[in-house]
Amino acid sequence: MPGLKPGMTNIMVRAISVALFAVAAASSALAHTGSVSGGFAGGLSHPLFGFDHAVAMLAVGLWGAFLGAPAIFILPVVFPLVMALGGVLGILGMPFPGVEIGIAVSAAVLGMMVALAARPPLWVAAAIVGAFAICHGHAHGAELPPGADAVAYSAGFVIATGALHLCGIAFGLLARWPKGRIAVRTAGGGIAIAGLMFLGRLL
Amino acid sequence: MTALFAGLLHPLVVPAHVLAIAALALLIGQQGWRLSVPIAFSVAVLIGLGAIAMAYVPKFTEETLLALAAITGLLVALARPLPQGPGVPVAAAIGLSLALDSPPEALALMQANLTLLGTALGAVLLLLALLQGTARLRHHWQRIGARILGSWIAAIAILVLALRLVR
Repeated sequence: MPGLKPGMTNIMVRAISVALFAVAAASSALAHTGSVSGGFAGGLSHPLFGFDHAVAMLAVGLWGAFLGAPAIFILPVVFPLVMALGGVLGILGMPFPGVEIGIAVSAAVLGMMVALAARPPLWVAAAIVGAFAICHGHAHGAELPPGADAVAYSAGFVIATGALHLCGIAFGLLARWPKGRIAVRTAGGGIAIAGLMFLGRLL
Repeated sequence: MTALFAGLLHPLVVPAHVLAIAALALLIGQQGWRLSVPIAFSVAVLIGLGAIAMAYVPKFTEETLLALAAITGLLVALARPLPQGPGVPVAAAIGLSLALDSPPEALALMQANLTLLGTALGAVLLLLALLQGTARLRHHWQRIGARILGSWIAAIAILVLALRLVR
């Protein structure tokens, strides 16, 4: 909108907060049914309290930050979209054998990429992350509770996933400094070990 | 006044409506479109609510709204420059779907009409409020943030659409 002063993002933050509050806190209105707040809380907690999901999402953010621009921007945009496609497969009930193994492998591989400071071409990184996004999306989609408000639940888990990416990116930005680089690579190693432990439990 | 207030809050408390309006606000701000796009949205809201007042009973309005939110979110995520021309029908389609998805529960005619009036005000005010923020996205990181939000909105809308098709 031309003619408006640049900068001053506080109004935008307030407006987005209002929108998120409405999604999070609203009860059912008029002809719409379903527990919105319960659905949102359920969706939000699913990636946060599923440790296998959480560490893999952090690794995506860490790797994006490690790879730098444009990966740091592209991965958080691409991941939710590909994850949604995986979610659609889960909702449609399409079988995905070994989806839990895929999630555990995602933590191990992505953590290892960070620990080894791997820098493949962007399309390779996007393909790896995208393939794992389908696993995570399928698990979320298949576990979507029928009683919850679907929009609120989906909003909750997409926002939680994105927030984990942003946390990973924020920590990964430490890689600009030599000691921070060691810290980020160590965190990647920790995530890889956690992924291998998840995998060990499943096999 | 209760009916008017209930209508005013309606676009704020229905997640699909918030998603669609937020996606439209992000797209308008990102593309730097002028007033004709929000005006098309406002006029379409009034037309849709007029149709509801005339006892028109639409079907699949929330699904249509979610599909439009998904498309709009994808356009925000792609961040390709678009002419203003396609923005007008997109905004009008969102406004019309949103209005048709807002039938009041009140049985009394006066109460129902007040609710519809409140819904029109609520939808337009929410869009204008969000535009105050999205129109100021000038910095590079702000534009990236808008693209991320667009991808989230598209992802949510795609998932819910799939769920509606199955259940």
